[in-house]
Amino acid sequence: MAILEMKQVKKTYGSGHKMVEALKETDFRADKGELIAVIGPSGSGKSTFLTIAGGLLSPTSGEIWINKQDLSGLNEKQRSKIRLKEIGFILQASNLVPFLTMENQLNLLDKVKKGNMARNERMQLFEDLGISDLRNKYPADLSGGERQRVAIAKAIYSNPSIILADEPTASLDSDRAYEVMELLKSETKNKNTTTIVVTHDIRLIHYCDKVYRMTDGVLVLDKE
Amino acid sequence: MFLAWNELKKNKLRFVLIIGVLMLVAYLVFFLSGLANGLASLNREAVDKWDASAIVLTEESDKSLLQSTMSIDEMDAIQAGETAVIGQINAIAQTGDKKANVSIFGIEKDEFIMPDIIEGEEFSAANEVVAADALKEEGFGLGDKLTLSSTDETLTIVGFTAEARFNAAPVLYGDLATFRRIKFGDAAEANGDQINGIIVRSNSLSNLAGNEELEVIESETFIENLPGYTEQSLTLNFMIYFLFIISSVIVAIFLYVLTVQKISMFGVMKAQGIPSGYLARSVIAQTFILAAVGVIVGFILTLLSGAFLPSAIPVAFDILTMIIYGFVLIVVAILGAVFSVLTIVKIDPLKAIGG
Repeated sequence: MAILEMKQVKKTYGSGHKMVEALKETDFRADKGELIAVIGPSGSGKSTFLTIAGGLLSPTSGEIWINKQDLSGLNEKQRSKIRLKEIGFILQASNLVPFLTMENQLNLLDKVKKGNMARNERMQLFEDLGISDLRNKYPADLSGGERQRVAIAKAIYSNPSIILADEPTASLDSDRAYEVMELLKSETKNKNTTTIVVTHDIRLIHYCDKVYRMTDGVLVLDKE
Repeated sequence: MFLAWNELKKNKLRFVLIIGVLMLVAYLVFFLSGLANGLASLNREAVDKWDASAIVLTEESDKSLLQSTMSIDEMDAIQAGETAVIGQINAIAQTGDKKANVSIFGIEKDEFIMPDIIEGEEFSAANEVVAADALKEEGFGLGDKLTLSSTDETLTIVGFTAEARFNAAPVLYGDLATFRRIKFGDAAEANGDQINGIIVRSNSLSNLAGNEELEVIESETFIENLPGYTEQSLTLNFMIYFLFIISSVIVAIFLYVLTVQKISMFGVMKAQGIPSGYLARSVIAQTFILAAVGVIVGFILTLLSGAFLPSAIPVAFDILTMIIYGFVLIVVAILGAVFSVLTIVKIDPLKAIGG
């Protein structure tokens, strides 16, 4: 079942002869339980792709459907609601709030959204990610790998339909990077969600079900 | 509240500094309001003590009690519930090496402006006076003989009354005959009917004065026209209002700097779908906590330091005024936070992702 669907989505900046096509006309579909990688060099348009898929940026033309909701024509406030409900972001820099303990990072989501994980599920999540001991620590006290795992916990905690990860392994050494990918893979399979990882690190692609390659705004399926 | 509170807990030093500044501003506001109040009562205590609705003076005196002179017969023409005559003159009173600027009120003992005695007894014989307790603080006591600067008459303090200063000078209350001997000396007999004004308590002030040369002045107007009174209170109030603006600007700057530092964090949170409204409320809640704590600490410090001040500093704290000013401070602080709220609303979550 399609969780994310992009139909003839296009993004251009500027106009006339200065016009830049950041994303050429793209059709894309992600189903439940899929771990998808989008690889490509920097400047190829993969960030544009991710921000459009995440409802942060409106495309110039085309339609985006997230969990059967059409994002076209929604304003920022409505898109913000969809992001909160449907999407878990894992960002390049960490998406943690510096003055909240790890536990409170998740509590914050409880303040603004219903339908997050139950207490025991949450404990299990901490257990799975190996971060149970870090519950009362602040982001500054954590190592890069620990922080990324907390960020993953935060993204998964709200039971999103899609997890969008932007270079989730950028600040990690190889072992940690594999560990993080392993985690994303098992969470995707266990929870039957959809995870899209944008990366330039081709070592990670064998964890993924599908690999797309982005070159100059053109998205091509590379491996299935 | 959740975000606001957790951030305060984590960055204690930063917020303690802001609270410190707000506390000092609140302290200054409270202190100035105490000073304004104290200086005002220095001028108006004796008038407030009358608890009168108006005073009748001659039109040509331009609302000055001292400059108004009329005959006691004028009272007959005044149709008011209660009336009291008053004669007034300023003098320097001296006993031993103690000198004080005083205001002498000549009154009728059985009329309503007769003050309550807190120590000693009422004046009964010639040249006996009841003095304001402010004189007691300056070292004057019961039985003291006072020589006066402008006359050979000697007054004797037989009693004290509380809170009786008129235009910053402690009041000596005596009978009209005493007042006339001081004012007219040998000509006292000839001026036996002279008074300065008539104080009235009445529900309606229109058509009070029968004589065109007389003017009915409401008590508050009369007070505002005491020499220096309006100038003084305007100056102090201006300072207080300016402090409100300053505290608003301080809060605005502090919070704005803090908010700018956190733009990327707010952006990430917005990308995650946390509504701007939630973030804005958090900033407002934070401001409220900061301002409320600052104001409360300032309030306590003001009262504490007020208790240790020498009586020469005319500070009188009016708790109700202070509470109102405290609320105003909190409200203007929150207004100062509006800038930051606008900034948060404008943050583009896209920027946080680096897209």
